[in-house]
Amino acid sequence: MTILKVDWIGALFAVSLLAAIPLVFGSSYIVGVMTVALCYGMWAASWDFMSGLTGRENFGHSLFIGAGAYTAGFLNVNFGANPWWSLLAAPFVAVLFSLLMGFPTLRLRGPYFALAMLSASAVMQNLTIIFSTYTGGQDGLNGLFPILDSTLAYYYLTLTFLVVSAFLLKFIANSPWGLILRAIRGDEATCQAAGINVTFYKIVSLMISAAVAGLGGALYAHYQLQVGPDLFAVILSINIIIMVYVGGMGSIYGPIGGALLLNVLTETLRGLSEYRLWVYTVLLVIILFFLPQGAIAPLWRRIRSVFA
Amino acid sequence: MNALLQVRGLDKYFGGLHAVRDVSFDLQSGAITGVLGPNGAGKTTMFNLLTGFIRADSGTVLFDGHSLAGLVPHQIVNRGLARTFQLARPFAGMTVVENVEVACLAPRVRRSGKPRERAHALLNQVGLGDQAELEVDVLPYGDLRRLEIARALATRPKLLLLDEPFAGLGAGEVGPLADLIRTLHKSEGLAILLIEHKLREFMQLVKEVIAMNFGEIVAVGTPAEIVRHPRVIEAYLGTAQIGGP
Repeated sequence: MTILKVDWIGALFAVSLLAAIPLVFGSSYIVGVMTVALCYGMWAASWDFMSGLTGRENFGHSLFIGAGAYTAGFLNVNFGANPWWSLLAAPFVAVLFSLLMGFPTLRLRGPYFALAMLSASAVMQNLTIIFSTYTGGQDGLNGLFPILDSTLAYYYLTLTFLVVSAFLLKFIANSPWGLILRAIRGDEATCQAAGINVTFYKIVSLMISAAVAGLGGALYAHYQLQVGPDLFAVILSINIIIMVYVGGMGSIYGPIGGALLLNVLTETLRGLSEYRLWVYTVLLVIILFFLPQGAIAPLWRRIRSVFA
Repeated sequence: MNALLQVRGLDKYFGGLHAVRDVSFDLQSGAITGVLGPNGAGKTTMFNLLTGFIRADSGTVLFDGHSLAGLVPHQIVNRGLARTFQLARPFAGMTVVENVEVACLAPRVRRSGKPRERAHALLNQVGLGDQAELEVDVLPYGDLRRLEIARALATRPKLLLLDEPFAGLGAGEVGPLADLIRTLHKSEGLAILLIEHKLREFMQLVKEVIAMNFGEIVAVGTPAEIVRHPRVIEAYLGTAQIGGP
């Protein structure tokens, strides 16, 4: 079998597995955990698309997540808009933020982009607290309407959005466009000498990344039915980066696996109460120490080599 | 006849250092010209000025009848002026053919055939056809030089700037690479401007030499004239004071 065929079968298998989870474990608790995990999957995949491929680390991905989630919140709570509009407006607003960040910082080499993203997300988190009249401050915006009444149906809606965005991101990553992004990671000056407009590719990639992250933010908001300043938090960005590393950077599917794995792990360890963070951290250190390339993507490449 | 490249009064300061001073010269289409000069003479700086990697303090560059003022490197490449780097800088983590394919995606050549096929053809042309699918990280230095040239050729340049193409090569690698450059010049009619230190191959390769020292052009002429030129000898050996105090 060709590598591509095995990849398709693997993808189909993974999607079926995710689709089967609510049927096997009927509890709404597990469906809820998995819905959140799917949102993390969208965030990790979108981070990987920009930063994993071009090597320009984004330390403030939560900026796009929060922008998307608060867009959903404002539209829904303050303006009473139909919640479906959130799924259109959230990516749009996130893209506006990406342009605001990308134009000044992605034209430069060096750490400016990473630092600007980090600061911008922290600033936004504080702005949501300062302008509490509009944003609800620490409490955030409450009382969002659900998009679908059944949590089970909403799980499948979120899964559909994750699968579609993952396929789109992977398709672009495998196209000539993705080749250019990997070349940017290799050497920007050589890329320019090859006649490639490096800044253009970086900015458009950040826009695509932001759109998917913002969409994930809106899906998350309409699951929690609440948005709060924590959605802009730096720790959220860092957690996403950890998920990408655990999954395997630059592969798109690996980070989704990493996000699912770590979300399930966090929930499984809940029984350990205060020791949870200890165990979680120790497991992370073990994974990253012994598998510096991550766990999911290298594992899949090994499985694939058996068949193709 | 209008020159392919017209450089007039090019100047660049790095702080107090006058790295390139009032450099003017013409290159005709299809010419093969060398730039000679000791370390620090301003040769690479001049290349960086011509290709937009650094901005000149004053002076004009006309390429193919159009000014290159204010253009950034990728725009200049897409006008047909390509370069290689003194230290080969491949895209790490990619295969050899992918390295060339990136340049086949430049706007100037995007529609000149399937990028992957063109990349393979270019690798065959520079003698790297068998290494196409290897990871670029395993290539020896001499092959990286050929890869640099293939990548530059991918953008279909009218003028190719080669920055020390023979630097770091073993004795057995220099001859074949010189042959490749000669073939490109003859069969494709490609204009070439190259910087080099390896005098013997260099002098056999080029028709005309621009000699630089301390950022200035000190002499222009055929290789035979240049090696006898007093200011060139002075640049390399210093001034003799025979019978002096």
